[in-house]
Amino acid sequence: MCNFSGRLIAWLDGELPESEAINVEWHVRQCAECRRASNGYREISAAFLDCYLTAMPVGRPSRRGTSHKRWFALAGSVAAAILIAAVLLPRFRPQVLPALPVATVPAPSFAFEKTPPRMLAVRVRHPRAPQPIREQQWIAVEPTVEIALPADALFPPGAVPPGFSYIADIRPQP
Amino acid sequence: MSGESVPLALPLARFAAGDREATILFGELRKPLLRYLVSLGLSPDEAQDIVQDAFLSLHRHLAAGGSQDNIRSWLFRVAHNQARNHQSSYHRRFADPLEPAASLLLDNATPEHALLEKEKRRRLGAAIWTLADSERECLLLRANGLRYREIGEVLGLATSTVADTVDRAIKKLAEKCNV
Repeated sequence: MCNFSGRLIAWLDGELPESEAINVEWHVRQCAECRRASNGYREISAAFLDCYLTAMPVGRPSRRGTSHKRWFALAGSVAAAILIAAVLLPRFRPQVLPALPVATVPAPSFAFEKTPPRMLAVRVRHPRAPQPIREQQWIAVEPTVEIALPADALFPPGAVPPGFSYIADIRPQP
Repeated sequence: MSGESVPLALPLARFAAGDREATILFGELRKPLLRYLVSLGLSPDEAQDIVQDAFLSLHRHLAAGGSQDNIRSWLFRVAHNQARNHQSSYHRRFADPLEPAASLLLDNATPEHALLEKEKRRRLGAAIWTLADSERECLLLRANGLRYREIGEVLGLATSTVADTVDRAIKKLAEKCNV
């Protein structure tokens, strides 16, 4: 074993100080064993570098999302979402209720003595006991706004019998 | 193996400002970093993530007034440490990436020569697998053109230790491959 054999690889890598590198270089020219060894190290280094550079998948586009499993999972998720929607949506579909009949109440048979009626569009309803609110009453076919007007603001005191109320029913035109 | 360092004479003071030099630096070191990380056993996607994190860390490092000496070994060290955190996948397929593609061996070669080359590559791949982790890492960083001093900075080893490790690893490979 030559004394320079431990410095051959560092010499090939250019890692030796200049003075020492000159000595090793001079020795390698003289020593057949070190020359053969250095050629072998150079060859194995080149083979390692070649394998390293050619076998690494660098610069290849990302394979995320390209596997068949991912596509199957995506298709399965979409199908499941459609199935769930088909099962659950009818339960949440708003029920279309028939329009509630407008109360047909005969006009009261009293006469206005002092002032004629001015609010002809106002329907007069008899007072009712408060009805329990049914859930389906909140869903109307067409939007309706009812405004309650106090009788005292419309008629002089005493013109309207106590207990009557007036409701303005507003329906927007289609 | 030339052992030449990749010159990085870049005005890094402007890197923190996100200037064009950042793009140059990224383009110059991205592939070597990716190749090194994949050779350690990481998937290409994992390697991409780690490289991006490493450059983000570099940006923060420089923005905080950190040292601009030897940015390349700094990046390799950060990437190496992050790869170490993937311990579950660290050893799983080092031997596979170094198996060269068969098509590369068949170019410009007779069938006999291609067969011999393929056998030599197979033996080299098997020999690489028998190396210790530190020996393999030293050779991989050396293949990226890092100097012994830089390899020592990446792996936390003394330069003389790196020289001994590289020497030992190359001799092992040569002995296994009958070179």
